[in-house]
Amino acid sequence: MESSWLRALVVLALVVVAGAIFTRKLLLVYRLIRLGAGPVPLAPPGERLRDLVAQVLGHRKVLRRPLAGVLHLFIFWGFLVLLTTIIQAMGEAFSPGWTLPVIGQPPLLAALQDLFIALVLIGVGMALWMRLVSRPRRLEGQDRRGAYLILGFIGGIMITLLLSRAGQIVLESPAWAPGAALSGFVAGAIAGAPRAVVRGVFEVAWWGHLLIILIFLTWIPEGKHLHLITLVPNILLKKARPRGALAPIDIEQAEHLGISSIEHSTWKDMLDAFACMECGRCVEVCPANATGKELDPRRLHTDLRTHLTRVGSARLAGGEAADAPALVGGVFSEAFLWQCLTCGACVEECPAANDHIDKIVGMRRHLVMEEARVPDTMGDALRSLEARGHPFRGAGLSRTAWTAGVEVKTLADGGRAEWLLWVGCASALNERNHGSLRALVRVLQRAGVEAAILGDEEACTGDPARRMGNEYLFQQLAQQNIETLNRYGVRKILTACPHCYNTFKNEYPQFGGQYEVWHHTQLLARLVEERRLAPSEAVPLTVTFHDPCYLGRHNGEYDAPRRVLAAIPGVRTVEMAQCRERGFCCGAGGGLYWVEDRVGQRINHVRTDHATATGAQVVATACPFCMLMLEDGVAAREAKIRPMDVAELLGRSLAGGSAERSGG
Amino acid sequence: MDIIVCLKQVVDPELPARDFAIDPATRRQVREGRPLVLSTYDENALEVALQMKDHQGAKVTALTIAPQATVGDTVRLALAMGADEAVVIDDPRSPELSGPARARMLAAVIRKIGRYDLVLTGCESADLVERLIAPLLAEELGAACVTFVARIDAADGPLVVRRQADEGYHVVEARLPAVLSVTSDEANRPRLPKVKDIVTAKRKPVQIWTPGDLGSMADDGGVEVRDVAIPQRTGKCEFLTGDPAQQAEALALRLRELKLL
Amino acid sequence: MPGILVVAATAEGALSRSSLELVGGARALDASLGSGVSAALLGHGLGSTGAAEALHQHGVATVYRVDHPALTAGQSDAYLAAAEQVARTAKPDVVLVGADTVGREVAPRLAHRLAGALVTECTELAVEGGAVVVRRQAYGGRALATLVVRGRPAVLSVKPRSLDAPEPAPVAGSVVDVDAQIDPNALPTRVREVLREKSEVGLEDAQVVVSGGRGLGGPDGFKMIEELAAMLGGAVGSSRPPADAGWVPISWQIGQTGKTVRPALYVAVGISGATQHVAGMAGSRTIVAINRDPEAPIFGVAHLGLVGDYREIIPPLIARIKELKAR
Ligand SMILES: Cc1cc2nc3c(=O)[nH]c(=O)nc-3n(C[C@H](O)[C@H](O)[C@H](O)COP(=O)(O)OP(=O)(O)OC[C@H]3O[C@@H](n4cnc5c(N)ncnc54)[C@H](O)[C@@H]3O)c2cc1C
Ligand SMILES: Cc1cc2nc3c(=O)[nH]c(=O)nc-3n(C[C@H](O)[C@H](O)[C@H](O)COP(=O)(O)OP(=O)(O)OC[C@H]3O[C@@H](n4cnc5c(N)ncnc54)[C@H](O)[C@@H]3O)c2cc1C
Ligand code: SF4
Ligand code: SF4
Repeated sequence: MESSWLRALVVLALVVVAGAIFTRKLLLVYRLIRLGAGPVPLAPPGERLRDLVAQVLGHRKVLRRPLAGVLHLFIFWGFLVLLTTIIQAMGEAFSPGWTLPVIGQPPLLAALQDLFIALVLIGVGMALWMRLVSRPRRLEGQDRRGAYLILGFIGGIMITLLLSRAGQIVLESPAWAPGAALSGFVAGAIAGAPRAVVRGVFEVAWWGHLLIILIFLTWIPEGKHLHLITLVPNILLKKARPRGALAPIDIEQAEHLGISSIEHSTWKDMLDAFACMECGRCVEVCPANATGKELDPRRLHTDLRTHLTRVGSARLAGGEAADAPALVGGVFSEAFLWQCLTCGACVEECPAANDHIDKIVGMRRHLVMEEARVPDTMGDALRSLEARGHPFRGAGLSRTAWTAGVEVKTLADGGRAEWLLWVGCASALNERNHGSLRALVRVLQRAGVEAAILGDEEACTGDPARRMGNEYLFQQLAQQNIETLNRYGVRKILTACPHCYNTFKNEYPQFGGQYEVWHHTQLLARLVEERRLAPSEAVPLTVTFHDPCYLGRHNGEYDAPRRVLAAIPGVRTVEMAQCRERGFCCGAGGGLYWVEDRVGQRINHVRTDHATATGAQVVATACPFCMLMLEDGVAAREAKIRPMDVAELLGRSLAGGSAERSGG
Repeated sequence: MDIIVCLKQVVDPELPARDFAIDPATRRQVREGRPLVLSTYDENALEVALQMKDHQGAKVTALTIAPQATVGDTVRLALAMGADEAVVIDDPRSPELSGPARARMLAAVIRKIGRYDLVLTGCESADLVERLIAPLLAEELGAACVTFVARIDAADGPLVVRRQADEGYHVVEARLPAVLSVTSDEANRPRLPKVKDIVTAKRKPVQIWTPGDLGSMADDGGVEVRDVAIPQRTGKCEFLTGDPAQQAEALALRLRELKLL
Repeated sequence: MPGILVVAATAEGALSRSSLELVGGARALDASLGSGVSAALLGHGLGSTGAAEALHQHGVATVYRVDHPALTAGQSDAYLAAAEQVARTAKPDVVLVGADTVGREVAPRLAHRLAGALVTECTELAVEGGAVVVRRQAYGGRALATLVVRGRPAVLSVKPRSLDAPEPAPVAGSVVDVDAQIDPNALPTRVREVLREKSEVGLEDAQVVVSGGRGLGGPDGFKMIEELAAMLGGAVGSSRPPADAGWVPISWQIGQTGKTVRPALYVAVGISGATQHVAGMAGSRTIVAINRDPEAPIFGVAHLGLVGDYREIIPPLIARIKELKAR
């Protein structure tokens, strides 16, 4: 390719201008992010690097949606590979015949480049097909014009690239030409045209290619394509906390409790907002959104980004965006914030590694702790927690009422045991769960496992308070419980409640409470596998397992309950479409057990429908809250299916009838 | 305006039946090991005072007679909800005081506090439901008295309140100082305290006096509690038998026996 | 002449049912004490109403009458002043006051002014070994207290509807007009207005709540429930399914995610008794359950249970209550 100083100058000027615009915009984003609060403790570097490889290079989460995943993988890798062509083009502008150092311009690279031009074009085609024909729900509410424009850019870049390569082949027969099959094919098509025309095509394509790339560059720092830049740092800056844990706040020191304005958010929250690619995967899996509620986990990020840009820019300029709506109650309505189940489906799905729960709970913290604004019946639950140490206002049961008919020692009465069985309020104070508890105790006794309880000394772990945003009350309860546990020298905690499990395992260490924590299905699976329990009676039932969010997604335990079920002779298991990582919340998480679910469909009814659709006779679960919600769903839907705890099913299969008829 | 709110600490009225017991020696409810809460309507009274504070400005003092060792949470809750200061009369005998003696003691404290325009109480305590403290207090203080106040209609000019009455509401105008007993109303649903206020509540002044600080106080109401019995029916349902008409008949009679007709 | 004084306050001039109940209680006490029953008849324009005669008809010999324009509905301070004047004239041993809107304010203050003993909200009165012994509920109805009243005068406020209205027992009686010195302008409180608008005593404050559940089968079932509630002077509530189905307003829902009620009487009709429902009504003093399933968990919390179809039970119940109330 011939060159002139003029061409080099124009290219240089364009690159400088585009680069300046790009840098300015990006710098603004950086400064906006820096408005956030810190520090945010980060995960160990090894883990972060592993995530980076899996998510960015491997597209692990993106690929969960096969069509969208593959097309994105094509475009992503296409751009990585074609970066070489851009560098090549730039280099040529300054020094004709310039080639990439080390790899140079071998035909093999050309072949690869061509392959990816093709794949990217296929990707663009697939994306268009998705937007025009298949239209998945997650794409509703996305900025459509922006999306088409971007696809136009990408398509344009590819087509101009293809044409310029074809032109170059015709005009110069470069050394790499034999490798470039697709370009060669196009070259064949235009080769017959007069040379001047070919030259014209080449020039237009070459400049067009460069211009589109530069315009695209200046566009990147706005809107969803910023993720091209922010995603890598976002994954590399992963928080240190386990998934199920919320961050503690120092109540005495904090100037403001929770988030009501951008300066209360951490820089990581801001980075999240800029990393969101508006893919809508979170919306698609959100049970609140799916049942017709206002909550929209994508909007949580896009609206935060818009708000942050507006308010933050004004602030960086030394002023205030006076007419900007308030973050809490304005940008996000209170209803929006109170609809989240903290089920973690969105977090699990998000390819940008964003954390939705932190932001929602952060804003709830503001509502509860700074403004004392919470839905009435949630307020009642909080009051009850404060006065009575449990959230079940009006519960007429004592904490040991369930022990009628089984023998359980309490630590206060000198009971010593390997395990502390942490009963949990939802089990102790709701009769339906008494059967599950008794079944568990009987099974444990069968296996010779010693477990004692705290009885009246047990107080709520504080999980509902924490998810409702009352961090203060949570910390009080946590301290009280840790003190009780330490007083008895408790080391090993067994609990039948995934919420208690999560809180002990992931959150109490924040306050110095270190215990070995097991969920009952984990111990049961172990006992069965060690043959300390021998399920022998056939239980001829078809069972589908409902994953409790705080056992599954928040703690990664999908297998233990399934292993127990598999060990029961006669049980045939079937899975719901939404299971394991994609499990659908029962509707009780995030403290929502204590508010009426009246917008759209009831979540527990929908979940019951999922279970019924499998044709199973039993929907098994391993959480007292799920149990109450499923019982309610089954009653409302007048469904034939019956909710049972895994321990109840296991109990039935132990010879000698340690079973008890309970529930349904 | 200076408002004093009288707060009583009671054993959680929602206690499971199993934990409800009467101490034969004192003939009072056993309190040990039971959660203590603010008597239901006292929270409404406090809310009314705080709304006045929010709307037209007032100083709100929370006042309680209770064994000091047990009083922490109640007082802190009141301060966190927004009371400006608290006075605790540390009287270990307080759960056993007679109504008139209790009113006399409250009056003595209130006189000692000195400045007050309004004294608010709950319309009835959640445990004994005597409904007598407010009127007795009014007599002791020589103040106006209105009981079962659902809401305060006006306080900038003369005090106008709405009293819950058998036939509806009475709109009552009262002179100051006045003692009002407050009933629950949708307008006075107690607020949840803000956590910041809970934290700062720890720094708000709490004065602790002993009954000795109030001068001698005889307790002879001329009433002796002879017996407090728990009817043996808790937990067991009594089925009325017969055909539907007979059951209906039996129920109507039982309702009358129970003074519910 | 020490004896038992019944405070018969009347705003409309006519004798109220609760005043008659007090007369019944006084006569029962008098059967043991034998010191005579008198009444303080307080109101305005009493001359022509026959209230004094009605008292004579029911065995009250001496009627102290205070007729004053300040004695109007709800004017407690005026009633207190009048009652005090009468008590100072009659010097009774026992004073009975109805624990209604006015009586609740008058009784304690009267006791204070007379330096007497006081028991409020009594439900039973008796004389044992010469002493006045009364019963009242305590601890939210969980316990029944027996108190011996030694101080004199004993001022007792009596919970309305707890004593039986007496049979007539005419005596020749006299009316003593007491000239009360009431300066209407000096009274510390003044009733400006009586709002009779069917006081929307909210569900949460109602003394009687009749609730319906899914078992009612539809909005028509609630008509029956509403009639029963009206008959009992109570409010209507529901479990969640009727609120969900739109048979009743959402605000009627009682339970964990609805309202909390603690009435003296809670009637659950066609409600199974799920814990989430019970959470909102467990504090009720007397719980009656009507359900056709004898195994329904509601019977685990109910005090009185009726097993059967509500459609066959409620109509005769309404009829019977109507009859009893008419008596
Ligand atoms: C079963 C039983 C029955 C009794 N009956 C009688 C009786 O009929 N007559 C009698 O003279 N005595 C009686 N007594 C003695 C009894 O101890 C007192 O009457 C009783 O304490 C009155 O208080 P209360 O809270 O019930 O009054 P209420 O008038 O119902 O209380 C109303 C308000 O007074 C305020 N208040 C009450 N106590 C305090 C406190 N400690 N500190 C601050 N504010 C407070 C609160 O605002 C409360 O809401 C009885 C005792 C028992 C055990
Ligand atoms: C998180 C959560 C919160 C909830 N919050 C509440 C709440 O606040 N309030 C609430 O009430 N529920 C609540 N529920 C629902 C609760 O679990 C029950 O489903 C509901 O209370 C059942 O209502 P029911 O008793 O009317 O209906 P059912 O349980 O269907 O009972 C109907 C009853 O009527 C009887 N019956 C039928 N026909 C007749 C007849 N002709 N005569 C007499 N009896 C008849 C039947 O025997 C049956 O016992 C909640 C559930 C969940 C999961
Ligand atoms: S945590 Fe669950 S309910 Fe909340 S936004 Fe995410 S998916 Fe929706
Ligand atoms: S938050 Fe995550 S999952 Fe949701 S739209 Fe943004 S990138 Fe996608």
